[in-house]
Amino acid sequence: MKDKNNPAPSGAVVFALGALLLLLLIAPFSRLSAQSQPATSNGFLNFPEFNPPPFDFNDAFYTENGIDVSVLDTPGAARFGLFRQTGPPARDGQVNWVVDHSNNDPDRNDIRILATTGGYIDDGTGAPTQFISILAFLLDQSFFTGVANARGIQMADIISHFEAYAAPRQVDSHGVFAGTACGSMGDGSTPCFPVTSVATPTLRQDWRFAANRNPIDGSAPFGYFCDDTLGAWIITYFWYTSTGFGPHQTSQCHQMLAALGNKNGLTLDGSPIIKTADELNFLEGTVVGSNPIPGFLGTNPPDPPCTAEGQEDVGGADGGAVWLICPALPDPRNGAVAQDAFLDQVRKPSGLPIDLGITANFLCLKFFGAFCNELSPAQQAAARSAGQ
Amino acid sequence: MSSDSGKPGSRRDFLKLAATAAAVGPFFLFPARAKAQKKTLKTLKIAKWAHFVPEHDAWFESVLAKEWGRQHDTEVIVDRIPVEEISARASAEAAARRGHDLFMFPWPPAEYRRQVIDHAEIYQAVSFRHGNVDRLGHKSTFDPQTKKYFAFADSWMPAPLLYFEDYWRAVNMPLGPLHYGSLRSGGQRIRAKLGIPCGLALAPSLESNVTLHTLLHAFGSAVVDAGGDVVLNRGARTVAALQYVKALYQDAGAPEQLSWGPAGNVRAMLGRKTSCTTNAISLLRAAEKENPEIAKKIRLSPPLLGSAGVRAIPHVTNCSAVWSFAENGEGAKQFLSDLIDRSKDVYETSQGCNFPIFQKTVPDLIVRLEKDPRGDPPYKYKELKDALHWTANLGFPGYANPVAMEAFNSFVIPRMFMSAVTGKLSPQDAARSAEAEVKRIAEKWRQAA
Repeated sequence: MKDKNNPAPSGAVVFALGALLLLLLIAPFSRLSAQSQPATSNGFLNFPEFNPPPFDFNDAFYTENGIDVSVLDTPGAARFGLFRQTGPPARDGQVNWVVDHSNNDPDRNDIRILATTGGYIDDGTGAPTQFISILAFLLDQSFFTGVANARGIQMADIISHFEAYAAPRQVDSHGVFAGTACGSMGDGSTPCFPVTSVATPTLRQDWRFAANRNPIDGSAPFGYFCDDTLGAWIITYFWYTSTGFGPHQTSQCHQMLAALGNKNGLTLDGSPIIKTADELNFLEGTVVGSNPIPGFLGTNPPDPPCTAEGQEDVGGADGGAVWLICPALPDPRNGAVAQDAFLDQVRKPSGLPIDLGITANFLCLKFFGAFCNELSPAQQAAARSAGQ
Repeated sequence: MSSDSGKPGSRRDFLKLAATAAAVGPFFLFPARAKAQKKTLKTLKIAKWAHFVPEHDAWFESVLAKEWGRQHDTEVIVDRIPVEEISARASAEAAARRGHDLFMFPWPPAEYRRQVIDHAEIYQAVSFRHGNVDRLGHKSTFDPQTKKYFAFADSWMPAPLLYFEDYWRAVNMPLGPLHYGSLRSGGQRIRAKLGIPCGLALAPSLESNVTLHTLLHAFGSAVVDAGGDVVLNRGARTVAALQYVKALYQDAGAPEQLSWGPAGNVRAMLGRKTSCTTNAISLLRAAEKENPEIAKKIRLSPPLLGSAGVRAIPHVTNCSAVWSFAENGEGAKQFLSDLIDRSKDVYETSQGCNFPIFQKTVPDLIVRLEKDPRGDPPYKYKELKDALHWTANLGFPGYANPVAMEAFNSFVIPRMFMSAVTGKLSPQDAARSAEAEVKRIAEKWRQAA
């Protein structure tokens, strides 16, 4: 059986480029509703649809889960359905959400989310298979009512176990590298990079989402898809330290980052993309068992560390989002990625994505209802044919 | 049709008899104990660490021990020993090979693995009635080298964060700091605004040992790795933890933290002189008893999120060891086995401090946590319902081995943090020095093996 968590198969880049071309060919005709799309003669779109596309939660559900809707509906939270219909992540001609009365989930409302943020799954593979919908930002604890949910648990306690790893840009428009975060996460030195926004244009690489944590393997007391009913996350910012990258980089970090860059590619800052927990933890100086950076000799983590991580002040003192309400698509296949959805991912100034693996999977999900490595030979042939 | 009274016992009668016998117990008698039971009055000498909830010790001595003694024709003598004297007393008994039969520790006594019996048969006896020992108990008492259990764990205490809701509300954090970054930034604002410092225990004591081991693990470091190798200063996480605590102390701490003795953090919380601390819930129980208004303002939360996740070590792991030189070893084993039948009483009399190692003995634990009779609000304690998930054994990520436990009992970690906080050593040098000390301990145990 094929593993949906595996990265795109070898030749993924070639395939992805083909898929991109495919998108360009199909996009003008792809505004059909996800619920009513027909099969086409060449086999595209001919897949069973049983996973619904994402909608926002309704107010009653937010309240039941300890969220103060009166605070959620303020501009700072930027809740879809009230704010941000255009603007990042939507690009020219796109909208982040639409009103759609096809919802039949009693816990959701009629705001269907088109902006689909891609990222890496946190199961150790770093596969680009995680897709989420960023519904709103929680800036401090005033967003929580303090009332426990129906199971007697504070939602803030549940969310703290599920981290969404954000990578703010560290190199500013003048090319100056900042090795620490501004605000409470940082060490107080300058220059520092801002952590007041996690909008896609402010990121150097795509997200990683720890949706796999669960009580069965002991990785968390809760399961993301079982207990985190709002699909919310605490944002963990991670960055390269002043000794990890930039003019004061140590030789140890230089060597490690070179190896990691060869493996994963580079961010918009020119630093290596970090895809897995082991990679980040190792670069932070944590002993992780085995060296997660192939090509680098030695098992001891760097000292001083090459990376660091932290969260925003939960009282809101840092001015950015502490938590995100952005449920991951439980199964993005078979209709969950609708035909009018668009991919939110980190792109180069040229507009090209920095990780084509995410792009490829999004397109495969959108047009075939499956991850790329699950496509049948006939679908793959059709894709190749369309890409030519 | 009912059976005739004069008939020889039917299968049904036999089953009734067996069921009755099972109901009145004891369920399991260690063979030698069974033979000795009808002979002369015996003595069972127990050394027990003094519980933080005095009512528990009173029950243990005047009810549990006396009842058990009557049932087993044994005079049970319980000596209550202050926690800070436990190591010295145990060490003296092990050296002299004389003392109590049973020694009850508040932590895993791995250093005495050569002076104690293999406790596997007690676990085995208990498993027939209450299931297998859980992960925490197993990793706290099993020696993977010898494949023997050096102690028997019956209960443990979680170590949550306790904080004053009103203090943290003043800085827009009514749910508490949630992660270490906010502990520092929020604690800093509370001290600036209200003049109240953040009160993590730092000076060597059980409380600082628990607090700082917890912090160390949350930062992704450990004293020894899963294989038992010393990794305290391998990588950069210990230094990061040291830098953090130093900054926390500077930004949000108070000088008195450096001189707190045992339970200094508890007294500071009871006096509302600190905004939060890490401790067992015995602190809250003391507040509920002494000053309900203060107790009402104290909230619990799971341990803080660090770069390695939400993780803590137990405040107490109640581990009992039967000395190999015990005069009444059979009685001690029987006592421990029977103790598990009273786990519910242990939970009750400890006022909910002692969570069972054998989960089935307190099957309604979650319900009790949700509706605590002393808690105000009564659901306050439900924050502990997942405590077993976020609690790791001492010696994590490996087992509680002699190296980790000697380091624990000689306060290597609190001393390391103190030297960095006070500026006596740089964080880097403090980590190097502490690792060298643990390596010396490891070498000593390697040679002893």
